[in-house]
Amino acid sequence: MGFSSLDDFISEVTANGKFTRTDWNKLTHAVTAQAAGEWHALFHSTGNPGAGALGGGTSKVFQTLDDRVAGAIPHGGDVAPDTKHLLNASAFSAAATTMPAVFMLVDLLGYIPLLNTGSPNPITTGASTDIDLIMGERGTSQQLTFTADNSTEIITHAGGDVADRTRVRVSNSGGGLPGGLSAATDYWTIRQSATTSKLAASRANAIAGTAIDITTNGTGTQYLSLLLPRYTDGAGVQAFMTPSTVMGAATPNLKITTTDPDGNTGNATPATLPAGKTAAAVGIVPYSGTGAGKYGPFMPLAAGDRGIKDVYYYSQSASWVSGANNIVLARPLLTLPMTTIGVAAERDLLNQMPSLPRVYDGACLSWLIYAGANTPVSSGFFGHLDFGWG
Amino acid sequence: MAGFGRHGALADAIEQGQSFFATWRKSPSAATTIGIWTDLSMAPGNPFPNYYASSPLVAATLNGDEGIRHGGNVAPLTKHLKSLMMLTTTATALPLTAVLCDYLLYYPFVDMGSGDPQAMTNVVTLPRYADGEGVQIMAVLTNPPGAPAGLTFTVDYVDQDGAAKTSPANTFGAGVVTGTLATTDRARQGTSGPFLRLADGTTGVRSITGFTMTGGLDVGLISLVLVKPLATHGIRGIDAPVERDYALDFPSLPRIVDGAFLGLIACPSGSLAATAIHGTITTTWN
Repeated sequence: MGFSSLDDFISEVTANGKFTRTDWNKLTHAVTAQAAGEWHALFHSTGNPGAGALGGGTSKVFQTLDDRVAGAIPHGGDVAPDTKHLLNASAFSAAATTMPAVFMLVDLLGYIPLLNTGSPNPITTGASTDIDLIMGERGTSQQLTFTADNSTEIITHAGGDVADRTRVRVSNSGGGLPGGLSAATDYWTIRQSATTSKLAASRANAIAGTAIDITTNGTGTQYLSLLLPRYTDGAGVQAFMTPSTVMGAATPNLKITTTDPDGNTGNATPATLPAGKTAAAVGIVPYSGTGAGKYGPFMPLAAGDRGIKDVYYYSQSASWVSGANNIVLARPLLTLPMTTIGVAAERDLLNQMPSLPRVYDGACLSWLIYAGANTPVSSGFFGHLDFGWG
Repeated sequence: MAGFGRHGALADAIEQGQSFFATWRKSPSAATTIGIWTDLSMAPGNPFPNYYASSPLVAATLNGDEGIRHGGNVAPLTKHLKSLMMLTTTATALPLTAVLCDYLLYYPFVDMGSGDPQAMTNVVTLPRYADGEGVQIMAVLTNPPGAPAGLTFTVDYVDQDGAAKTSPANTFGAGVVTGTLATTDRARQGTSGPFLRLADGTTGVRSITGFTMTGGLDVGLISLVLVKPLATHGIRGIDAPVERDYALDFPSLPRIVDGAFLGLIACPSGSLAATAIHGTITTTWN
């Protein structure tokens, strides 16, 4: 897997044709200009590919993302057992007052929508109370319950919509698991409806629609854990927030509590807590910018942490009253600093900045942007990505 | 085994004469504007301009010998782009980013003045990249419209898996001169860059079957062009030619398939009128 030598690299991309190129175009969000010093997410802005969707699913319930969702930058499909790597990248803008800027390529692993109004599961408190999020295996408060039907292979889950191709595990209390399912084993969902799924033994099977044969319905209470689809131990995974619906008037301090890659729980965002922006616009990382309490783009990790395996608590010191925020889990892959309008920032990741970042099968590639200057709405950025695998 | 089995094979191939060098020059007359991409294959120079002139709405191919030259057919070997150089002595359009493309198929004289669906006739198929993987669509203005900014259209096409698809709405930018890539603009919602926004899940295009203006009409004509983007290049200033070696600088060695019609698209930072862009290309095969 990978490239064992420069000779092997040359052979794979030329003799074996294991190479693809993607051209992309993204516009800054249409509604609110980016202030200097702010980070914004471009996954849900328009361009090519078009806008992706955040804020969907069920509030407080993890929604997985992959390369088959709208808004993901294509990278050539699945290549396992080979491994795919970024070879070269470029980005530039000809739009006025867009420079300087920094683009960061991230693999979006999934998001947890936090709806401040509506149902189900609105965020109703602003008193720094820890709010349970449905993700990971910490405890039953972070899991969905489900029942199984061995006549249809369908599981019906209570309390949350589970996205297609979510990596899950099952567990049981007070009885036995449904026949055909085992604890501590990864399964992948085949979404049937907002409350029902089938389970597959692999992501490939989930894509193909090949479900596991459930032989009995099981007894007791069945639990479903929603897990990271890639970087499964969380190493290198970071979290950022971004609204999908404009937020209300408030500047809450924001905190998440996570499980780290070593399985340790209780890893809370350290003080000083990031401070949200009032009326935070769609796309902004609401605690980014200049001044005290601002960070960006990622939430600070707890001391000593090297990633996030899951996020299981969220708290805010004041209610945002309205709007939809999202905790997005992402793996940063590459940065492209841009200095001058019209001049492409380019990276050769084999020779110039040797790193050859790995792009996992299913990666949901998207851009974050740091605005070094006040950047108008709808500013266009262009570029390309080269990928090779072997 | 075609291609280069090791780094040394690249040097050996060049040593053995399996390499081709050509110069090219493009001198557009169009007064382009900053941030709006243009199709340099339509510009005068060497090779001479391509006008997308054939039967309306009927798929047609371009003769590879009339694009930037790359050295003839080499099968069963495979040919790859080794290096590209660009320079200009006119500053008006700089900085400028360019993309080298293989022009595969085009559908000329698509009417921006009709709100009716316009059906394409596919008498020929993709001459290269037959499954369409990685093939993109460009909308090139061939007859100037009046004020196209904000008009929208969709295309019906066959994707890389052979499935019939319809694109989301694509939006015209403000460009009006011949050669403009119609869906580009520096800051306009709905534009998609040099290549059309396609339906979710599309990673390439085999053919185009229809076109519909969906939001407003104008007087212009466009050609819908299927291309395979190969390599990125650019010029920053008049004080230095830009040389790029695709084995060493941005390693990718893009394959150039036998019969390829090579041309450049570019995003200038000002008017390209009276800007002569000179360049060289080196290919090698094994």
